[in-house]
Amino acid sequence: MSIALWSQCLARLEDELSPQQYNTWIRPLQAEMVDNTLRLLSPNRFVQDWVTQRFRERIVEMLNQMSEAEPPQLVFEVGSIAPAVPQPAAAPAVPEPAPVTAAQLQQTMKKNSQQARTNPLFSFNNFVEGKSNQLARAASMQVAENPGTAYNPLFIYGGVGLGKTHLMHAVGNMIMERQPGAKVIYLHSERFVADMVKALQHNAINEFKRYYRSVDALLIDDIQFFAGKERSQEEFFHTFNALLEGQRQVILTCDRYPKEVNGLEERLKSRFGWGLTVAIEPPELETRVAILMSKAVQADVDLPHEVAFFIAKRIRSNIRELEGALRRVIANAHFTGRPITLDFAKEALRDLLALQAKLVTIENIQKTVAEYYKIRVADLLSKRRNRSIARPRQIAMALAKELTNHSLPEIGDAFGGRDHTTVMHACKKVVELKESDQMISEDYANLLRILTT
Amino acid sequence: MSPHIPSQLPLRIGLRDGATFANFFPGQNAPVCHTLQQGREPFVYLWGGVGSGKSHLLQAACHAVSEQGGTAIYLPLAEPEGLLPQMLEGMEQMSLVCVDDLQAIAGDQEWEQALFHLYNRLRDGGNRLIAAADAPPASLGLGLVDLLSRFGWGPVYQLQPPGDEEKSAALRLRAANRGMEMPPEVAAYLMSRAPRDMHALFALLERLDEISLAAQRKLTIPFVRELIQ
Repeated sequence: MSIALWSQCLARLEDELSPQQYNTWIRPLQAEMVDNTLRLLSPNRFVQDWVTQRFRERIVEMLNQMSEAEPPQLVFEVGSIAPAVPQPAAAPAVPEPAPVTAAQLQQTMKKNSQQARTNPLFSFNNFVEGKSNQLARAASMQVAENPGTAYNPLFIYGGVGLGKTHLMHAVGNMIMERQPGAKVIYLHSERFVADMVKALQHNAINEFKRYYRSVDALLIDDIQFFAGKERSQEEFFHTFNALLEGQRQVILTCDRYPKEVNGLEERLKSRFGWGLTVAIEPPELETRVAILMSKAVQADVDLPHEVAFFIAKRIRSNIRELEGALRRVIANAHFTGRPITLDFAKEALRDLLALQAKLVTIENIQKTVAEYYKIRVADLLSKRRNRSIARPRQIAMALAKELTNHSLPEIGDAFGGRDHTTVMHACKKVVELKESDQMISEDYANLLRILTT
Repeated sequence: MSPHIPSQLPLRIGLRDGATFANFFPGQNAPVCHTLQQGREPFVYLWGGVGSGKSHLLQAACHAVSEQGGTAIYLPLAEPEGLLPQMLEGMEQMSLVCVDDLQAIAGDQEWEQALFHLYNRLRDGGNRLIAAADAPPASLGLGLVDLLSRFGWGPVYQLQPPGDEEKSAALRLRAANRGMEMPPEVAAYLMSRAPRDMHALFALLERLDEISLAAQRKLTIPFVRELIQ
């Protein structure tokens, strides 16, 4: 019995169902024919239930009509056949109610460890260093050279898309390079939670503990997703302590300073501070250009400096978007076969850039700055000159100069009819303050991010 | 209405418009189509208004993956039947996951987290995601910035809505794929008389196909005029 029968069913279903129904419920199914049993595999229980309820009867009917001999038995299951595309993460799902033995769970854990490897593409070599990430990079390097003893844990925090994950993988890769056979595990916090839940369900929490406490280095990404998950935090707390006691390295990343994560236990927060906590800031222009140039080299594409400069000047929020824009330009270049020039890039990114220009208006900047400092927009436009108003006003003006194409007289005008020399003074002042006042420098960076993300 | 098709009506076999690349008139959206057909970008984000071809392209991408022996799923998030975030469990084993109408779940914390985690799992496993919405990522109103930045990681394309000429070309392409010949003047006639959004035009084409087949007539202006009046 071959799978041809199922192909016939598919053709018929495709004709009977709307394209949407077909693409949502039938297309994801994988079929396997064993001993005259047709196994239809769904990616999850949800799909399986739906397909069984809505289509089972019709499929059986078709099989009966089309089979020349005995029609096959129809079985619905959750899972997948050996994948057609290389994909290390595809573990066949375990049917929920079936009891799982400790041995089986160990198997799953072993499989997980194969998946939980660091990504070799992320190394120190292709990490572009700049003022914004210097400290984090240096600390990571130290940890990679002296795992378990330099800084433990290493806690890297910063906004999205700034390279936290890259650094983390780079450390893991370097540890394994210097110490072949070291057990280095990288995973997203969600996986830790999911694994624990699975272990609890299957009464195998001891295997879970043993597994996570046996590693040489544990790298957990985005720990803010532990927030509110008390049982996971508890489990993690003990794992964490065990690893630290055994001088095994722990590296964590988070989108904010550990103390600021709501829903995280105090004892965890305080332990995160035992090692070293470093921040990654959004990259400045020069670094953004360097990142683009480096990505272009990796993609084997000739990217003129002025084009990199053009993209970097306009996309400032994070590295992911920078990369997204570059990918867009490269895709268009491959499609048209034309070289990447400034005009070409402008054309390729037209909609993306129009969008940014549209989004950032002086009005928008005033509103955002006022909200940020908890003052009123009217205050920004007023004649008041006390510092609590004047500073935000100057910052808003500097942002307007940086983010819009309005002339200085226009900007002055928009701030309660001020002179363009006032705007010039404000911009100069903000540049100075950013250098001398850490607080202002952070505020400015935050506002930039809010306005451009 | 009976689910069984009475014998005097033309058989419906093969008449449904396939949501494939071959059945999509690329027009100004040729670069997007190219990127999607190549299938090399792990993450692509499409946005555009109603009738700009988002759903068609997503389903075409699913179709293409199946043809190559991979697995794919299309998830229309705005469906009234309502998918749940749990629907994303285990989806990382698909070679391609297409999520349509993202705007329908923007702001929903559970959905956003589920998508974010799926995104990471797909990435770890080397599989692909194509997302589509009526607005660019930054205007969706997403609460989870982690998800927002991930949508910007791959190329973000705005689908350009078709102009009249492209609409008429798309109509003729579909007609040809259905085995009908639609002369340019008939297409032009339809464009000037019928509703001009793509969904309505394609629905009209389906009707024209059935009726002309049943009546054994070719598509001419007088015949079409009779029908749309």
